[in-house]
Amino acid sequence: MAGGQERVLRRRIRSVQSTKKITKAMELIAASQIVRAQARIAAARPYREGMSRVVIETAIGDPTAAGRLLGTPSSLERVGVLAIVADRGLCGGYNTAVFRATERLVADQRRNGVEVQLSTVGKKAQGYFRFRGQAVEHSFTGMSERPTFEDARRVARVAVRPFVDGEVDQLVVVSTRFRSAGSQVVEVRQLLPLADPRQLVGEDAVAARELDVAEAQEVRDGYTEFEPDAAELLADLAPRAAETDIFGALLEAAASEVTARQRAMAAATDNADELVKKYSRIMNRARQDAITTELMEIVGGAEALRADDVETDGGEMIRTAV
Amino acid sequence: MTTTAPEAAKSDTLPSGRVVAIAGPVIDVEFPPHALPEINTAVEVDLELDGTTVTVTSEVAQQIGDGRVRCICLRATDGLVRGAVVRNLGRGLAVPVGDAVLGHVFNVLGQPLDTDSIGEAEALWEIHRNAPDFDTLEPRAVMFETGIKVIDLLEPYVQGGKIGLFGGAGVGKTVLIQEMINRVATNHNGVSVFAGGGERTREGTDLWIEMQESGVIEKAALVYGQMDEPPGVRLRVALAALTMAEYFRDVKNQDVLLFVDNIFRFVQAGAEVSTLLGRMPSAVGYQPTLADEMGELQERITSTRGHSITSLQAVYVPADDYTDPAPFTTFTHLDATTELSRDIASLGIYPAVNPLTSTSNILAPEIVGERHYNVARRVQGVLQRYQELQDIIAILGLDELSEEDRVIVSRARKVQRFLSQPFNVGEVFTGLKGITVPIEETVESFEALVDGQLDEVPEQAFLNVGGAESVLAKAHEIQGQ
Repeated sequence: MAGGQERVLRRRIRSVQSTKKITKAMELIAASQIVRAQARIAAARPYREGMSRVVIETAIGDPTAAGRLLGTPSSLERVGVLAIVADRGLCGGYNTAVFRATERLVADQRRNGVEVQLSTVGKKAQGYFRFRGQAVEHSFTGMSERPTFEDARRVARVAVRPFVDGEVDQLVVVSTRFRSAGSQVVEVRQLLPLADPRQLVGEDAVAARELDVAEAQEVRDGYTEFEPDAAELLADLAPRAAETDIFGALLEAAASEVTARQRAMAAATDNADELVKKYSRIMNRARQDAITTELMEIVGGAEALRADDVETDGGEMIRTAV
Repeated sequence: MTTTAPEAAKSDTLPSGRVVAIAGPVIDVEFPPHALPEINTAVEVDLELDGTTVTVTSEVAQQIGDGRVRCICLRATDGLVRGAVVRNLGRGLAVPVGDAVLGHVFNVLGQPLDTDSIGEAEALWEIHRNAPDFDTLEPRAVMFETGIKVIDLLEPYVQGGKIGLFGGAGVGKTVLIQEMINRVATNHNGVSVFAGGGERTREGTDLWIEMQESGVIEKAALVYGQMDEPPGVRLRVALAALTMAEYFRDVKNQDVLLFVDNIFRFVQAGAEVSTLLGRMPSAVGYQPTLADEMGELQERITSTRGHSITSLQAVYVPADDYTDPAPFTTFTHLDATTELSRDIASLGIYPAVNPLTSTSNILAPEIVGERHYNVARRVQGVLQRYQELQDIIAILGLDELSEEDRVIVSRARKVQRFLSQPFNVGEVFTGLKGITVPIEETVESFEALVDGQLDEVPEQAFLNVGGAESVLAKAHEIQGQ
């Protein structure tokens, strides 16, 4: 009777087990990638820091030259948004968190009457925004797990140009920041205009302080000479700095992605184990039920046959009694 | 066996027999060889117990040769002795029928339990009768609106059809059947007959009191043979109630509602009797004659031209195993089945109707209309997909679903909750007033839901409400807090 149920459960257990094999493998692969991704972030850091130092020093050196390249945009009419997610799923809430932050940002800007131009990195973003009918200007795929500087340059070319051409007043990146192996947070960061070192707060402020902004300003104000002049220099430097920043963001996103994946797959493996355990229990009970039922039938049948014989004897006895 | 007026005088002239063996509720009786009673004939024997004379009525179940018959007693045989005189009644068990039975409670022998006498019955009908002929059956397919969303939408009941309520222990079968009595019987023009077989005596009393309060009792007859009775009684109580219903259908030309709680007890009693008679048990220990017994009962519960018996039968499912022979044999006879599921009850959703396994053979576009049919299928489609996704969600989490699937999951969860509905009889448990939703509103509301018009409404707003409007009202209330 219950044989059908048992078979169904057995098949289900097998399917969960093969899922588990995949998730386990992915967990291990992701775990090995974390270290590499972290190393890549570290390797890119000196250039990144150097670049931002040069930019900030230039900007400070000739405050009039920065123009719209530095600080907060004076008026916001159009804003470019670059969302960075993964090409693949199976990484828990990693993509969803970025999507949510992006959507909130877009909705906020729209409410304030600001036009949004959205570009994305990662295949998952394509599907997500297409499904919601949100127009995407440019979308890049195939780089989320191992971004190269060439990739960053490609993205930057498209993302930065509207700002340089004056089409947008601000360029914002929504991506996941890799703070440590245990902590990654989604961050919405203004990429262009470049952050004014005097207004920096939080983590970035620490880096800025190292430069000793105040001192630099005091010492160099009016003393540094630029060739060509600071404005021209900055116009060329700013997009490069943005490029470097995008590369950094891509690297951190990649590290966050593999970390999220490792965690998600570890959880999935555990869940699969639980499920196997649960189904096994149900299946064993079903099997035991079937066995009990069959035994009862056999014993009952045998008993009934035996009872017939006894009864005939009893019948004889009773007749003599009457 | 279908004669309407048994001749009472016959028993005087028939020779009596004597008890030769007693084994619990089974006795062997020896009759003179030329006057052996037929199978299903009723016989009586008096016994003296604590100074009072008790009459035990039994039914002949087997002729075992040598002028003997084996009888199933419808009363405890304590105090019975061998050699006691057994009177042959010359007829089967019979119950009073006609308007006189309305408003009363009976036992399987047709004796009133709530009063000394019910007055002059129109007739006394034997409980073993033939099923109506093929050519008198009416192939009608009209929906029977209950005002319960999940039932009307996904497994509409058939007027004059047989409806089964399946469920394991304690998932709400009896509550649902009482709700149906409450909803349907009060607005019903014909009469109602309730057969209480093998269920709790307390529930029987509750029902009787409730019927008195609602006034339904005036047009209803109740026949009880609850779990404290011997197996013979529990085996025949459904037949006794059915006989009363048949009289209203055939002679009074009325539409009848027949409620049976619980068909499984009928099967179980049959198994007990079968074992007592020494038959070899068949699959899972049931009687070898299971399908036959069920067929004899179910074939009689039917609508004939112009007059219907609409029956609602509760069927207990032992150990929640639907492949058990008892519920399985019942399935095949039914026009619509409502399966109550423990998983759904454990979500706190009542009635705990399983929307995927409950079926009705009138859920077809020709009968319920194209729109109703499509909405029902789409609702089931959404729930089906959700079920398929359960494993993925359990392993990988909701985040890994595609966009389309995520929408389906959120709608499915809303559908699940939307299928709940407060009951009139459940007011004492939930504190919520019963809600009736007209079928048009049900179809419209679910259409809006699967179309995505209610995607913005939070899930909780769908629990225990009526139509789409009350969903929005509840959502408003939740957000207001």
